[in-house]
Amino acid sequence: MAQKKNVLPGFNLSLGYTILYLSLIVLIPLSAAFIRASSLSLDEFWHIVTAPRVMASYRLTFGASLIGALINAFFGLLTAWVLVRYSFPGKKIIDAFVDLPFALPTAVAGIALTAIYSQNGWIGSFLEPHGIKVAFTPLGVVIALTFIGLPFVVRTVQPVLEDLETETEEAAASLGAGRLTTFSRIIFPSIWPALITGFALSFARAIGEYGSVIFIAGNMPMVSEITPLIIITKLEQYDYAGATAVAVVMLLISFFLLLLINGLQWFTNRRNQEFR
Amino acid sequence: MANTSPSQMTLYRAKVARNRATSEPAWIKYSLISLALLFLSLFLFVPLVAVFTEALRKGLDTYVTALSDPDAFSAIKLTLVAALISVPLNLVFGIAASWAIAKFEFKGKNILITLIDLPFAVSPVVAGLIYVLIFGLQGWFGSWLSDHNIKVIFAIPGIVLATVFVTFPFVARELIPLMQAQGKEEEEAGLVLGASGWQILWRITLPNVKWGLLYGVILTNARAMGEFGAVSVVSGHIRGMTNTMPLHVEILYNEYNYAAAFAVASLLAFLALVTLALKSFVEWQSARVPTQIEDIS
Amino acid sequence: MSIEIRNIQKSFGNFQALSNINLDVPTGELVALLGPSGCGKTSLLRIIAGLESPDVGTILFHGDDATHRDVRERQVGFVFQHYALFRHMTVFENVAFGLRVRPKSTRPTEGEIHRRVRELLDLVQLDWLSDRYPPQLSGGQRQRIALARALAVEPKVLLLDEPFGALDAKVRKDLRRWLRRLHDELHITSVFVTHDQEEALEVADRIVVMNHGKIEQIGTPQEVYDHPSTPFVYQFLGNVNLFHSRVESGKAFIGNLPLEVDAKDESNNSTAFAYVRPHDIDIQKESNIQSAFEAKVIYIHSLGPLVRLELQREDQSDIIESELTRERFLQLDLSIGSKVYVQPKNIRVFLNETA
Repeated sequence: MAQKKNVLPGFNLSLGYTILYLSLIVLIPLSAAFIRASSLSLDEFWHIVTAPRVMASYRLTFGASLIGALINAFFGLLTAWVLVRYSFPGKKIIDAFVDLPFALPTAVAGIALTAIYSQNGWIGSFLEPHGIKVAFTPLGVVIALTFIGLPFVVRTVQPVLEDLETETEEAAASLGAGRLTTFSRIIFPSIWPALITGFALSFARAIGEYGSVIFIAGNMPMVSEITPLIIITKLEQYDYAGATAVAVVMLLISFFLLLLINGLQWFTNRRNQEFR
Repeated sequence: MANTSPSQMTLYRAKVARNRATSEPAWIKYSLISLALLFLSLFLFVPLVAVFTEALRKGLDTYVTALSDPDAFSAIKLTLVAALISVPLNLVFGIAASWAIAKFEFKGKNILITLIDLPFAVSPVVAGLIYVLIFGLQGWFGSWLSDHNIKVIFAIPGIVLATVFVTFPFVARELIPLMQAQGKEEEEAGLVLGASGWQILWRITLPNVKWGLLYGVILTNARAMGEFGAVSVVSGHIRGMTNTMPLHVEILYNEYNYAAAFAVASLLAFLALVTLALKSFVEWQSARVPTQIEDIS
Repeated sequence: MSIEIRNIQKSFGNFQALSNINLDVPTGELVALLGPSGCGKTSLLRIIAGLESPDVGTILFHGDDATHRDVRERQVGFVFQHYALFRHMTVFENVAFGLRVRPKSTRPTEGEIHRRVRELLDLVQLDWLSDRYPPQLSGGQRQRIALARALAVEPKVLLLDEPFGALDAKVRKDLRRWLRRLHDELHITSVFVTHDQEEALEVADRIVVMNHGKIEQIGTPQEVYDHPSTPFVYQFLGNVNLFHSRVESGKAFIGNLPLEVDAKDESNNSTAFAYVRPHDIDIQKESNIQSAFEAKVIYIHSLGPLVRLELQREDQSDIIESELTRERFLQLDLSIGSKVYVQPKNIRVFLNETA
């Protein structure tokens, strides 16, 4: 890493410390997973990560994360819109509360959601007579993943909506566009990159989530068992190789999503700068 | 200062300008607000209220007993220890990283920023697992550690490590964009005036980013105290020894001791509320600073 | 303290910011680095300050090699373009900063610091603002505080980067005069960067005109204005009329007017560029031997003591500018559409240069 001449002191110290700390805490430990997995033959690895129970967990994890992220994309956009465009009593408090899923420990969220959606819980007891079971089913997983991903879309879309100039909307109105046309043709095109980014962040967070899910999921193999739980189960059976193999699959997916999100954010920033 | 500041004027104008041409009919507006509020109450308020009602369901006595249990007390202590170690470590890292990234140009900077984000992308369970692979009995240093009678996994060091990992990026992520936006002119001015590197850092750079710094610390602390997945993998769940508050909640819950579980959970929920309040305060403070411009001519 | 700059070169990636810069700044002089944006003037200033280091070349302070001297030991005062005031410190603390960060052994006592800061705030006439924070100041006030802060460490050299760039026109003029007076009082060797020729002409003892990383001309304001040594300086300093011509048998022409050129054989048929300031374009009602061409008055702008005319050449499509004294204008009795004969003086011809 070569540096252009700069008179401010501390470059070597700060960059050196950054790289050292990053390596010790993050890079070396992460590489341990890959090195450990490489002791497996490709066949063994493939066998472990495609076992029926593991495949079922992928389906649940990705399916529920996708549904949760979609719900968040819709309601997150709605929430951001309402918070930016309208005023109503208690708006500031609501705005602050959007971050609750970031602040509330996941285990607490898990047991709280379970209590609400179980048969005799506040909401569960309403749904039960209609034959809808939430707690201890895949539906419960969706609920938990929706909760923990809720702030992402709101917090990525909100600033973009705030920066939108009313003038363009006024121009559209003056040219005879109705409100719906203005939204779909003028407003939506400017916020969709942020919306996709928020969706991707929410999805990525949901895939790795553990704490809030295990309480409400019921954790039935093949039905309501998420991939992180598979890792834990294998670890508890001292199947380190198996746990590591599944972890490597999850890591690769996380890396891919991280790159995708960074690319999206880069794209969004560049677009916004161009528009300025 | 005159009774209407320029910024108030623009706000006022913006409100007036948002006339019928650029707003929705009232019925749409109120339906949208209601729908959003319904969603938020269902997903945010109901769970939060549930924590406190469940905690107090069996009365205040049970609540107090649950919290004064020695195991609960040691869980609280361990949670505080984990936070007290990981917050300063990641704070120092965040300052070093943002100094290097925001004040200097070097190749590979974008890669470095992406790598700093990595812990956010990794599942907490995987975060716990990688430390087991290194320090666990079958891990790289497993036999060396057990020969020297040092326990990392299923002990406090492992819990701290896992906590440091999951809270790794928070401070850096807050500071990097902030320091990049502020440029380096003030630091250069300090340099020309004869200040040393540390003097520049202490007297110029850090005071300028203090709210961002505090914001990062608040987020780090909240996550450190609430982390479950990563800590769960490395903890071993030894009551009174290696249980953090969230893990203690799980144990009580799995023992069907719901009232006690929710009692401990209510402490964590309270902590979350404090976090949100502090966060809002910091946001308000940092937004306030630039608006004191030009009250004289 | 004098500054000598020897063969300085600096590039950023593929961009040659400075090439082969040589410059002497004698003790006590106020020098302007003048040029368009991107000409390298700010890079040069930052190199003098020690905020950048040159790729090649040396800098001597008072005869001593200071090329590798740390910024902190150069004893320079630097006023940044956007002032770079410490926004979380009061005006007082901003000015006191340079004294407070000194090592204990050389740090003045608290009383001494107070006395010194008061003195400087008096000097910039802003002592009544000492408890304010920078965001509460106007642009001109910030500028003067930045100057006071730079002076607090008793620099041997004062460097200012576009000191008036961010101010509005009125404040700019006042501050310009004020800086000139301050310099006359303090006699500290000063270098300032500007892209505003008027500013440089009014304030500086000497002007260094720069373009594309090179020095085009060094001289007093009078010299660079009256005797520009390159086409660039002609165009950059003040208004100028440009006439294109071909060189034929050692002569270039403006209309019918032959001009002697310092022509060698090979310069025959090359292009010549003749520069004439608007106030050197005289106008006659009648043709004479000095007349270059016939023209028509198409625009008269008469405000103040000078009257500015736009003239359409009759022999081609160019429009040229002329400035007459009001007296001369009245004497000629001109109006729009008048036919006149143009008589350029003080013509400077350059051969085959890309202007």
